[in-house]
Amino acid sequence: MPRPVELAAMIADAARLLPQQGPIGTFVAQNPLHGFETLPFEQAVIRAARVFRAEPFLPESDYRAHLAAGRIRVEDIDAVLDADVGARAGRPLAGGLATLGRLHRLLLLHPVRLESDAAVRWTLAESDALERLRDDLPPEARARILEGVAAEGSEPADAAAALWHACVEAGSRSRASVGYCQPPARHRDLILAVAPALDTDALVHPLLIRIVAAFLDQGVASWPMPERDRGLLGAAAAVYGSRHGPLEDWAGAVPGRLGEIHRAFEEGGDPGAIALDVVAAELRALGVPESAWPGYIAESAVALRGWAAMVRQLEERPDRAPVTAVPARLADFVALRLVLDRAAVDWAAERLGRPRGPRSADAARLLDFWVELRDRHPPRRGPGTVARSFLLFQVAQLLGLRPAEIRDLGDNEFRELEDAIAEFDAVARRRCFHLAYERRHRIGILDALAAARRRAETPPGTVDGRVARPRAQAVFCIDDRCESFRRALEESDAGVATFGAAGFFAVAMYFRGIDDWHAVPLCPIVIRPGHTVLELPEAKAVGDYRLRKALRRSYGRVRGGLVDGSRSLLSGGVLATLGGALAAVPLVARVAFPRLTAVLAARAADIARRRVPTHLGITRSAEGLLPDGTRDGFDTDEMAAIVRRLLEDIGLTSGFARLVAVVGHGSTSLNNPHESAYDCGACGGGKGGPNARAFALMANDPAVRARLAAGGLGIPDDVWFVGGMLDTCTSTVTWFDTEGIPAGHRGEFDSFRRLAVLAGGLDARERCRRFDSVPDDVSEAEALRRVEGRAADLAQVRPEYGHAGNAVCIVGRRALSRGLFLDRRSFLVSYDPRADRDGAILERTLAAVGPVCGGINLAYLFSRVDPLGYGAGTKLPHNITGLIGVMDGHASDLRTGLPFQGVDIHEPVRLLVVVDAAPERIAAVLERLPAVRRMVANRWVQLVAWDPDSGAMAIQDGVGGAIAFSPYRPETDSIPQAVSSAAWYRGRRDDLPPALVGVEPGAVGGRAAP
Amino acid sequence: MNTAAVAGPLALGPLVLLQLVAPAASLAAIGVPAILGRPLSERTTTRIVGGGFAAAFLAALVTLVTLVLGGFRPEVVHVGTWFSVGHHEATINLVADALSVPYVCFTAGLCWLVNAFAGKYLHREPGFTRFFVLLALFGTGMNLMVLSDSIDVLFAGWECVGISSALLIGFFHERANAVRAALRAFTTYRICDMGILVASVVIHQAVGSGDFDRLFGTDWPHGTCLVPASTATLVSLLVVFASLGKTAQVPFSSWLPRAMEGPTPSSAIFYGALSIHAGAYVLLRCEALLEAAPWARGVLVVIGTITALHAALVGRVQTDLKSMLAYASMTQASLILVEIGLGWRIVPLLHVVGHAILRSLQILRSPSALHDRHDLEAALGGPPGPGGRWLIGLLPPAWQRALYRVALDRGYEETFVARWIVRPVLGLLERADAAERAWIARLGGDEPGGRR
Repeated sequence: MPRPVELAAMIADAARLLPQQGPIGTFVAQNPLHGFETLPFEQAVIRAARVFRAEPFLPESDYRAHLAAGRIRVEDIDAVLDADVGARAGRPLAGGLATLGRLHRLLLLHPVRLESDAAVRWTLAESDALERLRDDLPPEARARILEGVAAEGSEPADAAAALWHACVEAGSRSRASVGYCQPPARHRDLILAVAPALDTDALVHPLLIRIVAAFLDQGVASWPMPERDRGLLGAAAAVYGSRHGPLEDWAGAVPGRLGEIHRAFEEGGDPGAIALDVVAAELRALGVPESAWPGYIAESAVALRGWAAMVRQLEERPDRAPVTAVPARLADFVALRLVLDRAAVDWAAERLGRPRGPRSADAARLLDFWVELRDRHPPRRGPGTVARSFLLFQVAQLLGLRPAEIRDLGDNEFRELEDAIAEFDAVARRRCFHLAYERRHRIGILDALAAARRRAETPPGTVDGRVARPRAQAVFCIDDRCESFRRALEESDAGVATFGAAGFFAVAMYFRGIDDWHAVPLCPIVIRPGHTVLELPEAKAVGDYRLRKALRRSYGRVRGGLVDGSRSLLSGGVLATLGGALAAVPLVARVAFPRLTAVLAARAADIARRRVPTHLGITRSAEGLLPDGTRDGFDTDEMAAIVRRLLEDIGLTSGFARLVAVVGHGSTSLNNPHESAYDCGACGGGKGGPNARAFALMANDPAVRARLAAGGLGIPDDVWFVGGMLDTCTSTVTWFDTEGIPAGHRGEFDSFRRLAVLAGGLDARERCRRFDSVPDDVSEAEALRRVEGRAADLAQVRPEYGHAGNAVCIVGRRALSRGLFLDRRSFLVSYDPRADRDGAILERTLAAVGPVCGGINLAYLFSRVDPLGYGAGTKLPHNITGLIGVMDGHASDLRTGLPFQGVDIHEPVRLLVVVDAAPERIAAVLERLPAVRRMVANRWVQLVAWDPDSGAMAIQDGVGGAIAFSPYRPETDSIPQAVSSAAWYRGRRDDLPPALVGVEPGAVGGRAAP
Repeated sequence: MNTAAVAGPLALGPLVLLQLVAPAASLAAIGVPAILGRPLSERTTTRIVGGGFAAAFLAALVTLVTLVLGGFRPEVVHVGTWFSVGHHEATINLVADALSVPYVCFTAGLCWLVNAFAGKYLHREPGFTRFFVLLALFGTGMNLMVLSDSIDVLFAGWECVGISSALLIGFFHERANAVRAALRAFTTYRICDMGILVASVVIHQAVGSGDFDRLFGTDWPHGTCLVPASTATLVSLLVVFASLGKTAQVPFSSWLPRAMEGPTPSSAIFYGALSIHAGAYVLLRCEALLEAAPWARGVLVVIGTITALHAALVGRVQTDLKSMLAYASMTQASLILVEIGLGWRIVPLLHVVGHAILRSLQILRSPSALHDRHDLEAALGGPPGPGGRWLIGLLPPAWQRALYRVALDRGYEETFVARWIVRPVLGLLERADAAERAWIARLGGDEPGGRR
């Protein structure tokens, strides 16, 4: 009998399989296969696909389409096979008529089908498969077969039929394989295998979802669940533990059992201990042997993994609950689910010929049921004779085997050939395709980067452009969406230099805006901030602020009252009858004229709000801890440390421009439960404006500057920092604290602000190329109107495309990639290897970049590879539940991952991290970062070292958990060139390969075909 | 009262016909290419369907103006006669009066709006064309039902509404839940449709035609019952029965929360706005019969009240937006039935229109709930408190828990229906089936055990 500690450990193990996704209001993209990161990527996706019943790779047909379109090339397939089959490639098959390498190559280049016997019979009867050889045969294979057929004295027209008969003859020599497969642990799956109509989850889940949703609800229901402070199990027992009221037939035994549990709670038992007791008792009553408990618990949690994951997330981070922290415990969830499961299994057992015995025997009647079900579990049957023969028939054609040769195969040779074909099944082929798909992308990027570097270094020695003082510098988030905005700024004004840093700009804080009712954490999700910053009204505007607050409160009361009222019985009736028709105004306005409505609403709100000027309370005003355990604001030392940290990270410690803009980002859209997925991941799914604003204030503070100068980081007195926020949905920048800009910097700021507006237009137009509903030749102004309209449109399910497309992460000097069109698909992290003597900066940079960018990339990758299994499916039926997540329709699992509308244009490739550092340094740094090392070694990200001195590239390809680099030699020197980004993307809607932009018109020798 | 009911080439005829033909033509225009395997582009599809609804809306608007100028003199448009046998005839008549024309303005306008919404919302969705085919079918059926002046035409429209509704609930037919929900709605509809079908037989039997003007004239809302009270009561009860399903009244309410499986815009227009009020419209159309049938009105008031209380209670504990809105819709739809049962005319009509507009806005907006909630919290300076529970707070805790469970289990309605209606009926059918087989076996001389 396992001790409670061991049971708790089993539950914790199960929790590792669950998606790590918190409440949807602060969506942070993370690897849904987080629990598998200890395995190499390719192995992990195949294993996880089995656990989650999901797809490991894209469908084979997708890859074949890419092959046909040239996105995957034959040389990629050859390279992948070379690395994969390696020394075994020459292994002879079919008595030396073929080799393993050739077989794999043919199976990748030509589609073959493995279908059921019935489907094959249909194909044979309805198609001309037996009348002619395949059209896509290599000529020599066709010639060989025809020769062989002619030698046997048959007509060429009968070649296919002759071959088919030989294959059938051969196929009947072996029998369908019957493989033992490990039966599942859960009763539900065991029962389903013997009685496909008896799905106990279909019985249990509606009730379980109802209870868990009621327990976790953050304020949708106006009547919250009673006794929630007892935890999920305690509350469920309190509500369902009495015998009044009928339940569905299968659940007859549930109230009795929950009643016992309720009494245990009433007697004051420890909730955690009760849950573990219940788990153990239920598993025993279900007759599951203790050795199978870990698997049983894990499968039970995974069966409803969205809800289980939410329970777990709120157990670990109660502070992330949007409104009320509830005492959620995964153990409660498992216990409750097992209570319901046992009732359903009991009911199903009756239907499977195990009638209920006398009362006394009831407790024991399920004991041997589990063992019996496991014994009855059907073995895995391989394809039947016809199916195997047909597969062989297809392969024989591709290999050019003659009928006589097939007939003459010895038993061993035949079996070897058949096994070799069977082993290279659809999953194995998709794996190879995926690697080839990634390889082509990698080559395109690396060759383009090498070309960009060559251009940056001509004439040699000018790599940093530090010759003249830049007109302005701008620090953005590393976000891939900022790539186009930065490129637009740089293209519009060569005197502007940009940098990329994680978008919380080293300011980790709880922030409460002037209109917020509580503070939210603005920093990466792994950090719990120790500081709280409030946005406060300026002293002269306090009166206005009070008025505004009062106005807003009455507005809120009226609106809340209307919303509540419309849902209640009598006031709803009165409201609907007398005033319901008035709702036609917002209905028509919002649907028919979304942008106009938004503009008018914003104007009205502006008037009502009486624009209150504010400032950030970043300076510590009181010592001691606040009630939530944080400190108020920052002191000078802390501020200096933050400023130093960021400037050192991005390598901006000298050569300051007179104006340095620090720009965070966020996204605003309507009708979008996943709105926060488009916000800044480095701000924990919040908007990064306040962080940028706070950073600028700190960097402008004379005391901070003095402290920095004392530490050797001198910022000249004529440098001014200004904070801003980029709305990635509308491509506009809002600037903060502009009144405080000194008169001497006004001119610079005004021209930079104009430049940002210009860049916004370029950015918007570049984004619009991905929106089918926007015409190709849209102007910049029109593009801005379009993206603004999308942000305000209730009907718009693609307000922006978020991180869709993300595939690259460049950690290094911007000068190396400047002028390269990266199609908004690259995270850009500024890092200067020459300023980093001991690798400390690289260490902290990779520590943040690895999990954040890698997590985003893998979230998109898996949501695209299997939109239903890992993604959230289509948005259309999404239904917000408890303010914490979305369901499909009225009662489904909570949908985790990203909606299909956010990933449909995404190319699922693993993130290609290119680091501007020598391989040895990277390897040394990784040894100090176990979590990142694991991701790199198991190749959840592709890592490339780019030597800062020589420009040589090396790809990390260590095996067995080792870090090792092999040199990469560019495939081509000729990279497409274009006058400008717009000239390159104009008229194109699909993913575009990198191009060197900003090339003098005369130097562009025609637009190279991508 | 038949003064205005003159068939013939009246000025309004083409306009009234246009209200039907326009959406029907758009249905054909997008449906036929889709069946031939060449669906039109997204943009063309939405334009055609939008054009159909727009034409219907404008035609209805012009008709309305003409009617208002003419002092609401109703006009019957005779489209044709399906068949006639002796004194019996099944005519295809439409009516433009104070009830139907404003109602078409409202339904066509709403469909037009939802069409515009869905064009963007369903962009790149695999079932794009299917959605718009069903929307056009729904709009055509709705207008047919609203404009009908005979029970037969009404039934045709009623069925179009029902089938398009069920198919849209099952729009995502790759998901078992969606198909199950669609099947439940379809079954409920079919059972209740019997009401109209039987009513049709009774009406034909009573007045030799399905025409409403032979039943209660055309002078809405001042119709007079032209049949004996017993017939009026029978027909009324049947129509009431039919409307219970579409209006999701107890014991037929369990399909409504499940109907939220389809895409958001169809949920809005069907279960927030139009489909859910179809029953109320038919009852309003038959107001003169109800006037003469106090029993039927009593039934309406009782069931409406029970459902309103049921839905108000259950709605309080729903934790997902769409279920909550479904129960809110149910509450108001029940109130509307009560109002009709009380013999009111204009109040329920206003209630229908107001509620439909308000609710469809809420459902279309429901994916913004988080956004709106943040705004509200910011304005209030904190989360809004759980309101309106003082009554429940008076109960002892154990009772509160019990009542909460009743609400969370949706009043046990499904269990009751499954146990006391579905199971006995199924049992009866199985026994009948067994008996029939036994008889056939005996007559055929086979061994009774050797069946199948």
